[in-house]
Amino acid sequence: MTRLNTNQWLALVLALVAGGYLAMAWQIPTFPLPRPIDSDLFPKVLGFTLLLLAVCLFFETPSAAGAEEAEEEPATSPLFSPWGRVIVTAVAVAAYALLLVPAGFVLASTLLGAGLTAFYGYRRHVINLVTVLGVVLALYLTMTRVMDVYLPTGVLPF
Amino acid sequence: MDALNNLMYGFGIALEPINIAYVFAGVFAGTIIGMLPGLGPISALALMIPITFAMEPSSGLILMAGVYYGAIFGGSTSSILLNAPGVAGTVATSFDGYPMAKKGMAGKALAIAAYASFIGGTVSVVFLMLVAPLLSKVAVSFGPPEYFALMVLGLTAVVSLSDKSLVKGLIAAVVGIMISIVGIDLQTGTERYTFGSIQLLDGIDFLVVALGIFALAEVFYMLLRGGGGKEAPRNAIGSLKLSRSEVKEIAGPISRSSVLGFFTGVLPGAGATIGSFLGYSMEKRLAKDGDTFGQGNIKGVAAPESANNAACTGSFVPLLTLGVPGSGTTAVLLGALLVMGVNPGPMMLEQRPDVFWGVIASMYIGNIFLLVLNLPLIPLIAKILDMPKPLLLSLILIFCMIGVYGMSFSVFDLLLLLGFGLLGLGMRLFGFPAAPLILALILGNIMEESMRRALQISGGDWSIFIDKPISLALLVLAVLSLGLPLLKKRRKRAV
Repeated sequence: MTRLNTNQWLALVLALVAGGYLAMAWQIPTFPLPRPIDSDLFPKVLGFTLLLLAVCLFFETPSAAGAEEAEEEPATSPLFSPWGRVIVTAVAVAAYALLLVPAGFVLASTLLGAGLTAFYGYRRHVINLVTVLGVVLALYLTMTRVMDVYLPTGVLPF
Repeated sequence: MDALNNLMYGFGIALEPINIAYVFAGVFAGTIIGMLPGLGPISALALMIPITFAMEPSSGLILMAGVYYGAIFGGSTSSILLNAPGVAGTVATSFDGYPMAKKGMAGKALAIAAYASFIGGTVSVVFLMLVAPLLSKVAVSFGPPEYFALMVLGLTAVVSLSDKSLVKGLIAAVVGIMISIVGIDLQTGTERYTFGSIQLLDGIDFLVVALGIFALAEVFYMLLRGGGGKEAPRNAIGSLKLSRSEVKEIAGPISRSSVLGFFTGVLPGAGATIGSFLGYSMEKRLAKDGDTFGQGNIKGVAAPESANNAACTGSFVPLLTLGVPGSGTTAVLLGALLVMGVNPGPMMLEQRPDVFWGVIASMYIGNIFLLVLNLPLIPLIAKILDMPKPLLLSLILIFCMIGVYGMSFSVFDLLLLLGFGLLGLGMRLFGFPAAPLILALILGNIMEESMRRALQISGGDWSIFIDKPISLALLVLAVLSLGLPLLKKRRKRAV
């Protein structure tokens, strides 16, 4: 059996997505009155188009720069490897989203900003904290006091 | 001669000291607000309504026109420096503006953006003054089939720019349209692809996708390419001065895109976004060094910037002459005018010439202020890039979060932002272009609506799209825009 190339793997995934999308398109309720075009037609056209494009992609030769690889660098632990950094950042962003309302914008944003900056390797912690806190406070005050945009206060009194 | 006399009358109003102060304040406030992701021209104008409420209508509209211009230019700044376009009209600017900033040419990119915006705005004001009544008639003749065809052309023009793979460009466009139709179908009230989630009923906002696909994905990508604190400090700003050859190089793109942008802006619904994308794709096609677009080509900044500013002015044509807002932003302006007791429309020229010509004259003055104000500020703004990279990455993350949360107040949208960031990273790693996805997301709803309206008019007969001459011509152009690059590629291979 021959090995599948990157485009062929991607085409299979996209074909699956298109299949799921089409299955859901058929579940969209149609309007009781007869009309030339209903809510389900456009999604069906899109689903079939994606399926067709997935077939085209399957037979397309991948270009040399098609799939870029991450630069490998000698990492001390998997956490500090390039992919480790991406995963930690993604988890931190998700945690931020969940903590934003209970902890408040200023606290959550400062923790996220200063914490990730230190994690990425910046060692001047005082400058880090002062800069992040300054920017966060400036944004917070501009949004809440000048623009009247509400941001959660959380545990802080203001 | 009449136009000139009227313009002189307009200048008489716009050059009153109080109105000059309003233009200046508007441009300044708009630039600052536009720089913040999530706060584009619509938010900026909405914020001005309570301020302009008690003003003389001509002064109020003059202030708002300044805010509008300023916000569009402010949006370009965050596109160029952070790859975080807060406004749809400045997405195309980031394609070459951000690579220029990464090469240490941020100052030049911002200066080109300022000059191009100035010229685009000025050229289109001349057009607005001369041909507004005539153009409004043409814009009215555009029905649903023509709009659908225009949207298709806008999309194919951008897809055809996908150098590596046309198929991947088309896939990105289809996915963009798929995202755009999530939520309640406004024509029938049917839920589509909401997975039972209340948060998805209103659909997915452009800003969440744009910040995810561009800014957050860029942060992830930089981390993947070894984005710790190891990068040597660089001269982030570079020179603001343009050499004679550079001026020559951008003169053509700016003048062509200004005209194209204006005419696109006149069409309701098209506006700055399509204008900037069309300007970019036209220049990429025409340029001898078109293959360097996307890598920091100065023409790639000049073209969309002049086009989007010209389109902003163009969008005043249907507003002032027909009373029909062509975009979300001009809809807010219409609301503001009504609040001030002015009814825009065919009679406005006769009933309120002071407002009509005063605004046109103030646009000239606003453009000059935009240039005078922004050029000296560029070195200060571009200092952002001198920051240590770990700090800059974290601050971009916070900017994205506040942009999204400040707009929707939804934690769910923050998680969506993360999802789109990861999708953007995947697209980048596997060579899928992001531009068609974003444009398709913006156009998807209008495209479907136009298609369905056209088919309702024709009773389900698809030939309506080729029976109408304008629609047919636009669709032929769309096919050509996809076919020609394919033929070019084949010829290259044969040679």
